[in-house]
Amino acid sequence: MSRWLLHPRLTLLFRLILGVTFVLAALPKLADPPSLAKAIWAYQLVPALVLNPMALVLPWLELVCGLALLAGIWVRAAALWVGALLLAFSLALAVNLAQHRPIDCGCFGAAGPRTEVERLTDMRRDLLRDLGLLLLVAQVLAATAPRKP
Amino acid sequence: MRPPWHSTTFRVLTLGAISLLVAVLAHRVAAPSRRLAWRSTLAPSPAPANPPGLPERRDQPLPSPSSPEAPPQGTKPAAPAPRAKPTPTPAPAQPAPTPAPITEISSQEAWQAFLAGRPFLDARRSGEFTEGHLPGAWNTPVWEADLDDRLLDFKAQRRPGAGDAIVIYCSGGDCRDSHLLAEKLLAQGYFHLLVYRAGYPDWVAQGHPVEKGGR
Repeated sequence: MSRWLLHPRLTLLFRLILGVTFVLAALPKLADPPSLAKAIWAYQLVPALVLNPMALVLPWLELVCGLALLAGIWVRAAALWVGALLLAFSLALAVNLAQHRPIDCGCFGAAGPRTEVERLTDMRRDLLRDLGLLLLVAQVLAATAPRKP
Repeated sequence: MRPPWHSTTFRVLTLGAISLLVAVLAHRVAAPSRRLAWRSTLAPSPAPANPPGLPERRDQPLPSPSSPEAPPQGTKPAAPAPRAKPTPTPAPAQPAPTPAPITEISSQEAWQAFLAGRPFLDARRSGEFTEGHLPGAWNTPVWEADLDDRLLDFKAQRRPGAGDAIVIYCSGGDCRDSHLLAEKLLAQGYFHLLVYRAGYPDWVAQGHPVEKGGR
């Protein structure tokens, strides 16, 4: 890979972007877990048994990993979590988009009332955003890969 | 040899464990209106098998408001019990049997049910309920942790029979909360559930009376 792609300053920028995004995404969900459960339920992908534990733990995971990325602590582990979460969010959005099921992303808390067309447009935008963030995660992971002696 | 806390796997698991621990602690101190039960109330839970002290009620005539009967927690689960055919005994108040246990009703039918004094359950969040609700409606937020307690309170005070009409509403549009609550009540043995689909926004738009404040 080109040297500039793994430049430490680029890694710093990317982990700060990821950290801020995940902390901002976590805060409204932490403030209102029932709304998050409702949002996850709307995806129709999570079994009822897992729904509420997921809604209760997921925002904390986002916050802890976001803070770790911002502070530069355990960056690789936090980036792995963030990558896994983004992958899961992207898949969930893609499945619902493929089925033309307009839902609220729930990514940054509850959204206001919107039409179905607006929802589908926002879902496409959210999917693109998540895929873009996944590229940032890939850079951070590549830059923090353990070097073989 | 590297210590274990230098391993990425250890760190990934630790981050997960920290999140879980904090989630458990935060759940304990969450305000009731922001608390989510660990176990989803959406999964149709089987109704208790006739708790002691409560008569078994499968199908029955509508109880009078002053009836000393116990609330119907002990009803048979789920299956929409068909109503008995009208007997020769005078029972003029018995409404026609409903074809489906959960029926969507129009704005006009909701108003008629309101005038007839049917109980209304508000399935929205308790914050929305406080901002405004149908007069006399019960605050039964389907996504909040104390839903079961609120339903018990409703049953204890209102004492609805299994076949009594119960109207449920939420925010209209694509809101499914009233359907979720209806399915929960159906699993508890109630089989005359009327979902006012257009919900609270329609009620306000129709100029019907509203009430503010929580309970």
